[in-house]
Parts: sequence; structure tokens; C-alpha cells
Amino acid sequence: MLRSVLACLSLMGMFAPCAHASWLPIENVKVREDPTEMGGPKIVIEYDLPDPNISAATPAYVFVRYSKDFGDHWELLGADRLRGTGFGIVEEPGHKELILWGAEQAGIADLGQVEIRVRAVAMARIPAGSFALKGLPGAGRDEAKTSKPRSNLPLYYMARFETTVAMYADYLNEVGGEGAGWNRRMSRANRCGITQQSDHTYTIAPGRENHPVTYVSWYDAMNFLNWCGLRLPTEAEWEKALRGGYYLDGDRTKKQPNPLPERPFPWGEEAPDADGVLRCNFDGEDDGFARTAPVGQFAEFASPYGICDLAGNVAEWTLDWYSTSFHVGLDGFRVARGGSWMAVPVACDAVTGATQLPLKETSIMGFRGVLAPRR
Amino acid sequence: MTALNRRDFMRTSVGAAAAFAALPQKPSPGANDTIRIGVMGLGGRGTYLAERFAERSDTEIAYLCDPNTRRFARAREAVEEAQDASPKMVQDFRRILDDKNVDVLINATPDHWHGMGTIMACQAGKDVFVEKPLSHNIWEGRKMVEAARKYKRVVQVGMQSRSAPYVQKAKDYIQSGKLGEVHLVRICNMMKHPKQGDTPDGPVPKGFDYDLWCGPAAKLPYNPSRRWLNQWEYSCGPIAGDAVHQFDLARFLTDDIPYPKAVSQTGAINALRDGRDTPDTQMAILEYDGLTMMMESTLWTPYIKKIPASIRDSDQFPNWPFCSTKVEVLGTEGFMYFGRHGGGWQAYNAGGELVHSEYGRQADREHQDNFIDCLRTRKKPNADVEIGHLSVLPYHVANISYRVGNQRLELDAATESFSNCDQANKHIKREYRQGWSIPENV
Repeated sequence: MLRSVLACLSLMGMFAPCAHASWLPIENVKVREDPTEMGGPKIVIEYDLPDPNISAATPAYVFVRYSKDFGDHWELLGADRLRGTGFGIVEEPGHKELILWGAEQAGIADLGQVEIRVRAVAMARIPAGSFALKGLPGAGRDEAKTSKPRSNLPLYYMARFETTVAMYADYLNEVGGEGAGWNRRMSRANRCGITQQSDHTYTIAPGRENHPVTYVSWYDAMNFLNWCGLRLPTEAEWEKALRGGYYLDGDRTKKQPNPLPERPFPWGEEAPDADGVLRCNFDGEDDGFARTAPVGQFAEFASPYGICDLAGNVAEWTLDWYSTSFHVGLDGFRVARGGSWMAVPVACDAVTGATQLPLKETSIMGFRGVLAPRR
Repeated sequence: MTALNRRDFMRTSVGAAAAFAALPQKPSPGANDTIRIGVMGLGGRGTYLAERFAERSDTEIAYLCDPNTRRFARAREAVEEAQDASPKMVQDFRRILDDKNVDVLINATPDHWHGMGTIMACQAGKDVFVEKPLSHNIWEGRKMVEAARKYKRVVQVGMQSRSAPYVQKAKDYIQSGKLGEVHLVRICNMMKHPKQGDTPDGPVPKGFDYDLWCGPAAKLPYNPSRRWLNQWEYSCGPIAGDAVHQFDLARFLTDDIPYPKAVSQTGAINALRDGRDTPDTQMAILEYDGLTMMMESTLWTPYIKKIPASIRDSDQFPNWPFCSTKVEVLGTEGFMYFGRHGGGWQAYNAGGELVHSEYGRQADREHQDNFIDCLRTRKKPNADVEIGHLSVLPYHVANISYRVGNQRLELDAATESFSNCDQANKHIKREYRQGWSIPENV
């Protein structure tokens, strides 16, 4: 008998401007075990993905994690072991079913021992094709790179929202234990708001669920995304997501030219505060937020692919190195792209970046994931 | 960049000296006074220094300044996390100098701003922590010394290993005679730098006051791929800018030997042919009475490594033969390997046996402590401005030799000029852009 199943419901209902900024809602999760004629039982996981906004352009990324020791340890159920309609990139809402063949071989055939959790992330599809690469990865000084950055990228998917406090706290509570990706500064309620309890569970300060998680090191971000089955974007991927390709439907079909392929901001060419319109969360309180804003708060100023908050709110860790011989022995540097709630408006554009030691944990840096070819 | 108004012009030209000299000198901070600091230049080093001084209980970062506003957030966040007060964010460092409540200017700008920023700060009654290399050129370094002395300012140079206990022990060891008479010191700076990109010139990004960034130097067309380190307008070269640490330590170990009599040099751009001005290979020989120093520098040798921080701050030693920043001290009776910024040192006797080892540690904190102490006592700091001047001067000479066809140059210490090459003397001072001049009499 199944001990427990967690459908990771969104905590988003309380924030009207942004419908699905944390995990996407998943409902009616059912898990059963069916016998097969050969090879032992199979596990069938059913659930409903009700969000009507899920589409080929804005799909869900669904991943499944399981524990076979009553929740002490959890593992990602690799996509290569699953069949069905409801894992990885899912392009339609509705009832989903996925099947794990070889459950016995995987050691999880006894559902009395197993817990399964299904979670979904709101993504945007970024078709393959070329784009206007203006920012110089590593500010053009990355000697770890031996080839020029690519301005023609294959298909990839990017999270539409920055990783939230709620998502990160959920992760901490699953990976558990002392010091697992958490540091004391995260408990500052006005800048992050995740507190570690004496039993090493993690709670969220009221109202902070939907804010981007901050004080995360590059390693924290990587660990979270590995946990999901995603990775950090490269600088090129980040920049293309902001500007859009020369064709928003990609170079294969070329039916939808990007009207502003060299746009400096996700919404176009206007400065974030031009004409009294506030388009993202930058320095000061004019935009309504002294520090971080709940993710998706400026959704009408999203990128051509519907990706929110690439300008402002928090700068975002990328996969790219920044390394010169001056920095050897300093653990290397990584690049964070984009502006933040502390940045001047012009610094919320497509080319702004800052180099940081990967251990750095700041109140102005967060991250989001991509599903993309390995680098 | 907006055009300089008359007030700005007066400050930055000959009138500047008179204008700031007329200011009453700020009294020295008392033992319990919080020292208020403005930081000029918010690159990696400026941000690092701002954070370190913000963490101290006896200092406060009052201003953060950079012509490029895109650099504001990283530095501001680091400072606000470390101290209670929020710093003022400004693009123009003259606003720091205008504030009578500011005690100190930290100057962590590119080389071309070290001199003018420091001199103007001295004139405004500020003490200065200026990053190495002290100066862009020989003449400017001397003017920095004169300004510090004239206005009775403490000027510490960011050559932090001067404050490291292991360095003093090495000097004591050498002076005890255990190496015999020292007649040769080899200074190594073997790096791996990337080529510059080939991006075409382009528009200046919004939010970046490029005209102010260029300041006293020539205003080249903006190019996002250009590294200021590789252009004579803005730099004395990436070799001089980094190797000055080792040469300064070599001077310290040899009892702060002052001027070489002559400098022979061969330099070239052998590998990094990317449009840069500055050489990627330099071998210089400095002639002193009874002592020769050799400076061996490259920018294309990846197999020779900087000492990792994990070794520099631990009870370990570098792999000396492949250490990119080592100093070798050769005496008549012994030999010493010496590392910078930690890394320690090891001494060998005439038989080649290891006879003494001393572990090292980085000394940024000690160097900052020394600076703060000197602000209160008004003593000269460990890396006083004149030490900084004399430690970078031979590299300026080597650069000038390169620029006049690798000629051997004989140095007249009294005038800090060359007695055998008029052409070389033309490079002792640079051209200053209109509106930004340093007067002969600072």
C-alpha cells in the first residue's frame, strides 16, 4: 500500500498578478502497481495538470522523485526509465499517466515502502535558432573558453519564473539535514525568509513564499537544479531568452520575425522607468518594492517567450565561468546576469553581468533553471 | 559625459592645487572615531576592499563610486550586508572629495587614475589607500609622493605582503647572513592571459560615463573587448601591474634598495598578437652596486601556476619550479625560494640542503590594520607612497626601454630621468587630456 504521495500544489493562489510562480498545481495524484506478464510489476502514476495556460510554447516540466526508505533519502526518477504522457516537457493540461517499468529491478516495487512526489515547473519554449548576442560572456575575458560563444542555439526550455522561496524551502525539507543548502542569512524575513527549525525542517516567513530565493551560492543553485533534473542557463541562453531569437518561432520555420531582435530589455527598448511606467523591480521603491518582488509581478513586461523578471528583481547565476590567471586559486568566478532590486534601471538590461565567487551568497542574486542539451 | 564646467575645470587643472591646498586640513581621527571612507573604483578589487573595510567596527564605507553605474549593485550589496549604514552611490569621485566628513579615499581604479585620484584626494585633505601599481608613469609617481608629503597625508599602497610576518622573517634571515652576500635576485611573473576579443568599436553603454572613466588619459573609441591593462593610455601593462608585488618584496628583502643604476630590457609581443600595446614577454636586468636583479615575465605560459589560496594560507609550500610568482634570492652561501601573498619561503645551504622553512599567510587584514593605525598615529604605513613609487619605477623604466627599441637605459636617481637617451625621457610623463592636468607643483 502506498504510504504517501505528494502532489506539489502551488502556493500561488494568494498572489493575483502571477498565477503560477511556484510549482505548478498538480492534483489527484494516484499511484498503483500493475502486474505484467514479464519482468515483474510496473508502477503507474496518474495525476491531473489543471493549468489551462500549459501549451507547447509554455509547457510544464514535470519531474518525479521517490524514496524507498520512508522519506529518509530521495532520488530523481530518471526520464529514461519512464513512459507515458506526463513527465519531462508536458505541453497540454489534463489527465496524465506515466509508467515505471522495471520497478522490481529498481528496488521500488513494494509500494508499502515507497513515497513518490510529482512536481511541475512552468517553462517557456525557446525554439532553435540564431539571436543577437550582445553581451560578452565573461565580459569577453573568459580564458576557460576556447571557442566563441554561440549565437545560434538549439531548442531549450527555461523556467518562466525565478526559483521561489517556496520551491527552495520544499527542496530543503526534502533533502533535509543540517546545512543542506541553507545559511543563516536566508532567515532574514525582508530579504529571503527561510528559517531552519531545531528539527532541521525549514519554514517560510509569512508572505515570502512567492519571492525569489536569495542568499544562494552557485553551488546551492546547481544542487537545487540537479535535484529537479535541470541546470543553470549559459549566458547565451539567458540572453536569448531575454531578447528572443531573430525569429520567435525559430530558424526552421521563420514565420514569426522578432520585431526587436536587439532589444535591450525583455519588453523592448524603453528604459525600465520611461514615461512613468515601471516595468521591472529595480533600485528604490518607485516600482512598489523596496527589495525583492514576488516573481511574475511585472508579467506584462515579460520577454517575447513570456519569461518573467529577466530584468530586475534578482540577478541570476549562470553556468559560465569567468576566469583569468589573476583569479587562479580563488575557486574561479561565475557570472550572474541581469539587474536586481538594487540595480540602477539601465543595469536591468540584456548585457549587464557581474562576476562573483561561486560561494558568494547575496540578497540580490537568485537563479532559474533550463532544460537544455548538456554543456 | 557632460562637459566640464568651470568649477570642475578649476579643480582638475593647475588651479586645483591652489583650490584644495587652501582647504583646512582635517584633524587626524581620534582613537575612537569611526573612519569614514569613500571607495573609488568598483571592480573586483575595489568591491573586495569596500567589503573588508565595511566589516570593520572602526570604519564605515560612506561612498561607493564608479563611472559605470552597472557596477553599483554588487558593491553596494556587499557593503550593506557588512555594515549598518547605506553608502552613497556616486559616479564622480569629486563628490567624495567634497564631503568634509570623509577621512579616506580608497583608490582602486585602473592605473591611469591612480595618480590624479590620489593627488586630488591629498589636496582635499583625505588619506589614501591606493592600489598597486602606484602610478601610471614615473613623473606621476613622484608627484604622488610630493602631494602626500606636502599635505601630510597617509598614503598606503595595496602591496599587502609588506605587512605579512613571514616576509619580515625572511628579511631577518637574509640580513643575518645565512645566505652569505646576496648578489642576484630573480623575480618571476609567468602568467597565462587570454587574447583580447575582436569586437568592433561601439556605442558607450547607457549608465557608463566613459569620458570620466578616461579622465586624464586619451579617450579612445569605446570598445567592449578592449582590456585597459593592455593599452599604454590606461596602464603600465599587465606584467608591471602584477609583478610589482614580487619586485616590491624583493626590494624589501634587500633592505629597500632604491634606484637601479641602469636597466637592460628585452620585450616583445610574442604570442598575444591581438592589437595590444603592451608586451607579453619581458626580461629585464636591473644593475645595482654589487647586486643584479632579473625580472622574467610572460603572459602565455599556462603550465606555470599561481599559488592556490589553499596553499598560500596553509602549512604547505608551492611547487617552486612551476610557481608563477616566486622570488629567488641567491647568496654566496645559500639560496632562498620565496612566495608572495602567503606561500612562505624555504632556504638552502651551499650543499643544496634545505635548512629552513617558513610557512606564509596572506596579509590583507594586517595591511588594512596598519593603514588604520597610521591614520591615528600619522606614522608612515608599511607600504608608504614612496615605497610604492620606487617599487614600480623599474617597471616603468623597462616599459620605456621597450618603447624605445629595447635600449639599455641609465638612470639618474636625482632627477628620475635617463642620462643616455633623450627619446626615453619623453616617456617619463604622459600627455594629459584637456581639463585633467597635474601641476608641476602639487
